[in-house]
Amino acid sequence: MSENEDAVATARDTKYFIDRYGLSPADADHDMLLRMIEDMFADGLVTEVEPFPETDREFGKLLDILRPLSADELREKLVISGWILEPYGPDRMRCQECMYYLVHRRWCDLPELNLPAKPDWWCRLWRI
Amino acid sequence: MANLLWLQGGACSGNTMSFLNAEEPSACDLVTDFGINILWQPSLGLELGENVKTILKKCISGEIKLDIFVFEGTVVNAPNGTGEWNRFCGRPMKEWVKELSEAADFVVAIGDCATYGGIPAMAPNPSESVGLQFLKRAKGGSLGTNFKAKSGLPVINIPGCPAHPDWVTQILVAVATGRAGDLTLDEFHRPKTFFSSFTQTGCTRNMHFAYKVSTTAFGQRKGCLFYDLGCRGPMTHSPCNRILWNRHSSKTRAGMPCLGCTEPEFPFFDLNPGTVFKTQTMMGVPKDMPTGVDKVGYIKLTAAAKGMAPKWAEEDIFVV
Repeated sequence: MSENEDAVATARDTKYFIDRYGLSPADADHDMLLRMIEDMFADGLVTEVEPFPETDREFGKLLDILRPLSADELREKLVISGWILEPYGPDRMRCQECMYYLVHRRWCDLPELNLPAKPDWWCRLWRI
Repeated sequence: MANLLWLQGGACSGNTMSFLNAEEPSACDLVTDFGINILWQPSLGLELGENVKTILKKCISGEIKLDIFVFEGTVVNAPNGTGEWNRFCGRPMKEWVKELSEAADFVVAIGDCATYGGIPAMAPNPSESVGLQFLKRAKGGSLGTNFKAKSGLPVINIPGCPAHPDWVTQILVAVATGRAGDLTLDEFHRPKTFFSSFTQTGCTRNMHFAYKVSTTAFGQRKGCLFYDLGCRGPMTHSPCNRILWNRHSSKTRAGMPCLGCTEPEFPFFDLNPGTVFKTQTMMGVPKDMPTGVDKVGYIKLTAAAKGMAPKWAEEDIFVV
């Protein structure tokens, strides 16, 4: 996607949030961001849960994609990170045990995501 | 009076710089208070050229008693095992090293390069560098597995990149004052007095390690550097957080992940961009666990710790 296409997509995302919630993700507080995330999944958002980044190299490549995204590009962040609203896999991996998860703030502290999360959610950037 | 000779091979002089910053005791204290006579040292020696060569020859012949031979840097064997890439006083340094080591009562390797090969010995190792008695974890090195100095001790290894100045001077004082018998060495010939505990021992971030709160970006004072930024403190033997650097800090205290520079494998990373300050993982789990911890135990401990972590563990408690 070209820079121009990126800008168009970002503007479209921002407009979507402002139309629906009266503000964009960049201006939303913790509870509003949670609501936005849950609503997107309720509306059928499908994310790239796989492939799981097996090595730190693959992990780093995902971070490279996420890093330039703005706070308003919430949809892209969720899709690329493989975000889901339930535990994942036979080991029931979830945010609660993830190194990036702040259990009291209920927040994903990975700088490239920097989003609120519930303990039973998960994404493919999970690491323990 | 104990005569000390210090030479450098494939080195950056970092250990000499570190040594000159020693405080407990200082490099001057070695001379004035502990009877160490520095025959020659690359940054301190006054002699040049033939005069240095004369000192070396007298040490080898026994005309000058060589009590302590200190070597900094790798022993360079290139090209083709000749050592010609590192000539000193008219011949390959490796030849001086061999003969001086045989003449000395004690041989002390300072820094990663002299101990285990360090950065110069990384693959593809074009300088054919080795440490005095090791190449990484493999015994042998330049002097061979069975080498023992006249005192009966093998090479005393003081690793680090650089070695902490006080590790160097304290070991030199112990040797020079006849207390070498008190030294016990580990399997990599490191004095146990310094290298039995971990870098993590005394780290100010230990509570964040315990409660599994990660530092996620440089500059954060909260969190542990192990989980995301590649810190090797939990599996590196060194007293960096017990014998502080410049008497008041350490890498981890300053927010810098431990690179594991006192372990034979250093440097651990392939040095490609993005790999050095990132914890190496496999399926989201660190490849290298804290020493003595297995994967199953680690996962269970993490679940328990995160489940009971106090709120303050997520905050920056170091208020300015």
